Amino acid sequence: MSLFRVLARSMDMISGIAGFRLNMHSISGLGDPAAYWEGQVALESDVAQLRGGDLDALSALLTRYQNRLYRYLLRLVREPAEAEDLFQQTWLRVAEKIRQYDPRRNFEAWLFTLARNLAIDHLRRIRPESLDQPAADTEGESAAARLPSHERPAIEGILARERAGRLGAALEMLPMVQREVLTLRFEEEMKLEEIAEVLDAPLSTVKTRLRRALERLREMLETQYPGENWQ
Amino acid sequence: MNDHEKIRELLTLLAAGVLEPHEEKQVMDHLRSCESCSAELEDWKLLAGGLRRLPTPQPRSLVVERARAQAQIRLNEEFEHRWNRGVIVGLIVFAWVLTLLSWPLVRLLTGGLLGMLVPGFSHEWIVFGAFTTSVWLAGGAAAVLLSMQHRRERRLA
Repeated sequence: MSLFRVLARSMDMISGIAGFRLNMHSISGLGDPAAYWEGQVALESDVAQLRGGDLDALSALLTRYQNRLYRYLLRLVREPAEAEDLFQQTWLRVAEKIRQYDPRRNFEAWLFTLARNLAIDHLRRIRPESLDQPAADTEGESAAARLPSHERPAIEGILARERAGRLGAALEMLPMVQREVLTLRFEEEMKLEEIAEVLDAPLSTVKTRLRRALERLREMLETQYPGENWQ
Repeated sequence: MNDHEKIRELLTLLAAGVLEPHEEKQVMDHLRSCESCSAELEDWKLLAGGLRRLPTPQPRSLVVERARAQAQIRLNEEFEHRWNRGVIVGLIVFAWVLTLLSWPLVRLLTGGLLGMLVPGFSHEWIVFGAFTTSVWLAGGAAAVLLSMQHRRERRLA
């Protein structure tokens, strides 16, 4: 059995046992079209109300996007404390700029663009080398390993989580441009056009980055864990 | 690069679900007759599936609540500023209208009805113009000073 089959099986196990995949976006987006459209209408209504200065709408949007936005920021900066700080800054920026938001644009893409710009400014200031270099320091816990722990009664679950941690750790080792394109596509489940809007890049560039990122990730996993028995 | 190699390059994008329909059809046609590409695609799909199922890290509730409170305060401030800006613009327009209307009124009071028809500046007009300009300059300077102080207070807060 190839490494990837083992990896995928372990991921299934994690989501099955822990059930902490909370991405409502994917559930509503792919599962039930009626629920998806209902969600879109609610989103548009919240955004319109926020533009009118409604505090409850701000609160609703923050609740809706808190996990996804934090995850994206964590993938970019890799440090939870920095991601939390940027998370707060992003919502302050939303409050400041919401009047300038064009309702014809995709709100998610706009929100993630704000977060990305803040993260890039932060990285330029704090660790300019991290923008185009893979992580050099592999010691210590990975962000994935710092995830909230859940009870997993079976040893299988523990092993599966370990494998997920390794995939997360390998993801962290990629350069920022590759990490972000992977997280936007696979975790945020954004369309290619939305990713291009967030990254402010042409579709062809996004495709190339996506392909290279996947190839690099696979290469890393095969190099770091050669012939390892993942079962 | 032959067709097989070209298709192999597209497998990652197929697993990522970002191929155009005609490219996808091209790949699927090739897969029917190529076992190695089929196996390769399975591997890419599994990796993509693994990425999709990575656990979602969550921010601490304390951080979320702080972000919520700060953003709500900022939103209130932004709307207060917008309201204040609107009021100031309204007052300025009102003051200008009042000023411009008061000129013919002054002329009427000082020179009577016929005085309004006489063109050219008189002594009263120069005094009136100087008075209006100095009032506007004083008002503008006060507004700039107040705005600077307000900005300083916001920065410190």
